[in-house]
Amino acid sequence: MGKVKIKRKSTLIDMTAMSDVTVLLLTFFMLTSTFLQKEPVTVMTPSSVSEQKVPTANLASILVSPEGKVFISVSGEADPSVADGAWATEEIRKEILSKAVSEYNRLHPNKKVNLTEADVNVFSKLNTFGVPFQALPQFLRMSQTEQDKVIADMTRADVGIPIDDNHDLDKPNEFQIWMRAIYSSGNDNLQSSMKKGEGIAVKADKGTPYSTVHHVLDNLQTLKMNRFSLMTALKTEQD
Amino acid sequence: MAQIEQSDKGKKKKGAQKKMSIHVDFTPMVDMNMLLITFFMLCTTMIKSQTLQITLPTNEKVEQEDKNKAKESEAITLIVTTDRDEKGDIKKDDEGRPMNIVYYYEGQPNLTDVTPDGRLVENTIKKETFLGNDGSLQRGIRKILHDRNKQVLDKIDKLKVDWREKKFSPNKDINDSIYQAKAKEIRNDSTLTRPVVIIKATPEASWESLIGALDEMQINQISRYQIDNITKTDSILILDFLGKERAK
Repeated sequence: MGKVKIKRKSTLIDMTAMSDVTVLLLTFFMLTSTFLQKEPVTVMTPSSVSEQKVPTANLASILVSPEGKVFISVSGEADPSVADGAWATEEIRKEILSKAVSEYNRLHPNKKVNLTEADVNVFSKLNTFGVPFQALPQFLRMSQTEQDKVIADMTRADVGIPIDDNHDLDKPNEFQIWMRAIYSSGNDNLQSSMKKGEGIAVKADKGTPYSTVHHVLDNLQTLKMNRFSLMTALKTEQD
Repeated sequence: MAQIEQSDKGKKKKGAQKKMSIHVDFTPMVDMNMLLITFFMLCTTMIKSQTLQITLPTNEKVEQEDKNKAKESEAITLIVTTDRDEKGDIKKDDEGRPMNIVYYYEGQPNLTDVTPDGRLVENTIKKETFLGNDGSLQRGIRKILHDRNKQVLDKIDKLKVDWREKKFSPNKDINDSIYQAKAKEIRNDSTLTRPVVIIKATPEASWESLIGALDEMQINQISRYQIDNITKTDSILILDFLGKERAK
């Protein structure tokens, strides 16, 4: 019997095809997805058959955590040709902050909140905010990691925008001050989309009791922002 | 990484050009791409949230006379609630779905006739659940609302057939907008019998159940609905219903 000769084969595998596939996948992901926005709590929104998409621009979205803490995030114009000017998200946030703080100081002359230029700049970079006015200067002077830690801690008393069943707009609560400041931030597009109801979105978790979310709905009614949208996930009639 | 292989098998004539094949090792490239893909998969989302638009009445006190009262025969009140345990966690049914319950009654409840032991003689409240379609069959509260709004839904179903066949216009967008306009017309057609739905939620009702109720309005093409606060009457009805159920 002759010996079977084992051919020496190179173990190199041609990775070119593999690389092609991965690049394709990568392109797909880059084109179809949007980046997750940093939020203090992750909520599972309930599902509905409504197919209206959430607008990406000119939106004030109100996040209600299961504990009843309220956070607001504002985004301005997405169109870069318009967003270049004073309507860019950061500019709007600065405007909102100055309006809200001056309103708060007018209503509470004894405990005024004073913010520096640097604080305002930090605020304009925040995607979601939600601390009482009194805690605002201290919060804005923290480092980013500290801010994230504070805002994600739902047990703290100084997290979340204070909200109550106030119906008297002469003495608005802090949530009402913020919402009015957003409405009158001087951005016509934001204002008109808020009027139409597309610009205000309420986001809450599936399991959150109605008594918690009701505060927000009631406050919006008091503010005469009767039209708004509720964030949902998509489902079919079969589910 | 890149290798140039020289094939020098066999003897070659002097001066003949050496054949060279260039191999580039793509493994590190693949590694890097995989890392990038992982990064994108973790940090991005592809699901865009949907929104459900609602309009609530103002909080201002409405003059009693201005209040256009719904016709008693058309009115249907839904009260959504969620079963929770002592800790406040939502109870789940056998299939793992949260226990969202809908109580409903039609017209005005009768609270005046009471039996000697304090029970209502006539309690019109009924209990239902949220259920999805079984094939093309409606179930749960959807069936009740569907039956109530049958005239509108039949017309819209006919319209949908035309819409699918693009009878309004060959252009997709124009076809859609004509369909939407016609559907809206049907939904608001006062010659048809349409229900007026009043949605109420108990404090412990989950957000999901309220959205579920609003969603049923969309599915059943009900144009007249509102969210209202729960009243004492409603609590009496539910308590009476639960009392009778326990007694059974």
